[in-house]
Amino acid sequence: MSTLIFPGDQLNIDSEQPTTLGPGLYFDPVTQEIGPTNAGVEVIANTKRGQTVYVDYDSKRYIPAVGDYVIGIIVGQFSDSYKVSLSSFSSSVTLSYMAFPNASKKNKPTLKVGDLVYARVCAAEKELEAEIECLDSTTGQDAGFGLLEGGIVIDVTLGFARHLLFDKDFPLLKILSSFTQFEVAIGVNGKIWVKCEEVKNTLACYRSIIDCQKTSVSEYKNTIKSHFKNIVDAAGGK
Amino acid sequence: MAKDIEISTSEAQFILEALKQNGRLDGRSFDQFRDVEISFGREYGDVTVKMGNTKVQCRISCQIAQPYEDRPFEGLFLISTESSPMAGPQFENGNNTGEDEVLCARIIEKAVRRSGALDVEGLCIVAGSKCWAVRADVHFLDCDGGFIDASCVAVMTALLHFKKPDISVLGDRVTVHPVDEREPVSLGILHIPICVTFSFFNPQDTEENIKGDSNSEIAIIDATLKEELLRDGTLTVTLNKNREVVQVSKAGGLPMDALSLMENCHKAYTITERLTEQILDVIKKDDAERNKYATLLSSENARET
Amino acid sequence: MSRLEIYSPEGLRLDGRRWNELRRFECSINTHSHAADGSSYLEQGNNKVITLVKGPQEPSSRSQVDTAKALLRISVNITKFSKTERSKTSHKNERRVLEMQTALVRTFNKNVMLNVYPRTLINIEVHVLQQDGGIMGSLINGITLALIDAGIAMYDYISGVSVGLYDTTPLLDTNSLEENAMSTVTLGVVGKTEKLSLLLVEDKIPLDRLENVLAIGIAGTHRIRDLMDKELRKRAEKRVANALSR
Repeated sequence: MSTLIFPGDQLNIDSEQPTTLGPGLYFDPVTQEIGPTNAGVEVIANTKRGQTVYVDYDSKRYIPAVGDYVIGIIVGQFSDSYKVSLSSFSSSVTLSYMAFPNASKKNKPTLKVGDLVYARVCAAEKELEAEIECLDSTTGQDAGFGLLEGGIVIDVTLGFARHLLFDKDFPLLKILSSFTQFEVAIGVNGKIWVKCEEVKNTLACYRSIIDCQKTSVSEYKNTIKSHFKNIVDAAGGK
Repeated sequence: MAKDIEISTSEAQFILEALKQNGRLDGRSFDQFRDVEISFGREYGDVTVKMGNTKVQCRISCQIAQPYEDRPFEGLFLISTESSPMAGPQFENGNNTGEDEVLCARIIEKAVRRSGALDVEGLCIVAGSKCWAVRADVHFLDCDGGFIDASCVAVMTALLHFKKPDISVLGDRVTVHPVDEREPVSLGILHIPICVTFSFFNPQDTEENIKGDSNSEIAIIDATLKEELLRDGTLTVTLNKNREVVQVSKAGGLPMDALSLMENCHKAYTITERLTEQILDVIKKDDAERNKYATLLSSENARET
Repeated sequence: MSRLEIYSPEGLRLDGRRWNELRRFECSINTHSHAADGSSYLEQGNNKVITLVKGPQEPSSRSQVDTAKALLRISVNITKFSKTERSKTSHKNERRVLEMQTALVRTFNKNVMLNVYPRTLINIEVHVLQQDGGIMGSLINGITLALIDAGIAMYDYISGVSVGLYDTTPLLDTNSLEENAMSTVTLGVVGKTEKLSLLLVEDKIPLDRLENVLAIGIAGTHRIRDLMDKELRKRAEKRVANALSR
């Protein structure tokens, strides 16, 4: 069951059980009460050790949090790290040269200013500049991160990006894949990168994803279909 | 602009590649102007223009002032275009000396004020001592490219829509009649200039552009913000329905062949014709809406013809 | 005041030129060899313009550093005594001057090979000592000469001129009297091509006449390019001769 809650509301949880708090909640150390700090859908899940609660809220500006998958643009280069922007008009984050698979003092990565990277946030202290990495730091192995070549980036809201990345039943990508083959990378900082073999298909994906943000899930199929049809029509009209 | 919007090289390359294959991100063709939505506020001379995500508001106001000494028979007319962070984080408050801001303000000024779109002599009340000072305040509410085009439509529609209070002059005494006492009067508009902005992209390298004969530069009409950030050059053509070029501004940027520039001017004319029709049409509709009870109040009898 | 006849039935203009004639055009380069890296002095009719190019030099502040290419900065100083009547304001920070500067920077950005001078600043100062119409064209010509004198890599000459339209006759290279009496078009043309880098129309012109005006303007800029080229070559030959005689 999901309910909409706002800051200041009471949570619908069983206060007897041990509770783990997720994003959008605040535990007041004086009154010992839990309250929501963001407006969104309250999600309660029961686990072995009790329950977890978080607020699924939508926003547009990304604030780095450890473990998030993000897409960034390299905006600067220093002697031992890159400066990466996760969204325009936000403070930048650092990407160390050592945070790449097989990196060493001699073997430096070859990214340039303006390149797109897919990475994971590995440190996000509010007093310090956040850091991202392009490898799985537990194993030191390649984990599918790194340079994104070609393609186009679509700016979406953070909630939409999270749905796309974590919700296995979210139909958008499935429907898209029935029309064309594509590569995709989803950053929870509200950036989606898509690339198809052909430019016109990438364009159709771009328009589809932007329009799907504004329509209900049941309409997705029609929206996407019309975009792909337009592309074919435009090609045929020439 | 304060800090720039960051665009990756991949995106830049993709947009150029798409243009080479005749495609734009939003699915428009190269010569397609966005649909213009014009809406009015409650009062005369309050106009909001929407083009895609771009939104511009213009408000006309007037007051009585003293004319310039060297032009005693002319009223005053001022257009103020100030951008604020409301339109997007790339704009700074109170700092309007950025290149784009200055060019935008100057083009609107040249298109509307210098071209004599408003009959300033009609604003004169008593020569040398009293005249109307008309002021057009343009506010950029949301930015997705095409500020110049949208502002020009907004200012012209607002000027056509605005009505100033009626006055009567008896010798040196000027009486201003409140709007509820006497029907306010429209301003004198001599022609309707319409701006159309082209953005140029160079699909090849610089050498080919300057030395080559291929002339394969791409020109698109009414660029969105992303396209504006990536373009290599721009051309703003201002025309009116009488086939007059009011103003042309191609302030540097990608060198373009003279013939293709002429071609662009002709393309702009068809858009000018269409937009002028649309402006006159919405003004007429709004006027009918505001005066729908006029026939009820009139004592005129219906006549058989 | 007698009525001025802009274009007489005999086909003569106020200063005795015909419709397709330029004003007196004289230029010299390396006029301020001690003060600047490149300099030029240009007289186009009564327009007198000094241009100084300084750079490529180290930028004075870090915000001006571009790691990919040089930054071009142009400041136009219109002196108070440049017109018959002394102006009360210095024209600095006027919107009109700011617009001119931006237009000039954008014109030369595409023509100077900025990518060969990364992390530097090229600073251009233009001083207008006297003005008599068509000033924008003269500024372009002066800057082109000074840039070549400074030895900065560029693709081609850019030459500028303004053309007026009197009734149906285009008049090449307008002076201020003509400029006030009719609408004018300013062009900046790349080398001997028909490519326009700059095109400014500030007053009403019938759309169907524009093509005519552009054609005569382009012919005029090509002529100006030749005049500049002649002067530069003369200078260069002198330098080569000096070098050989050593």
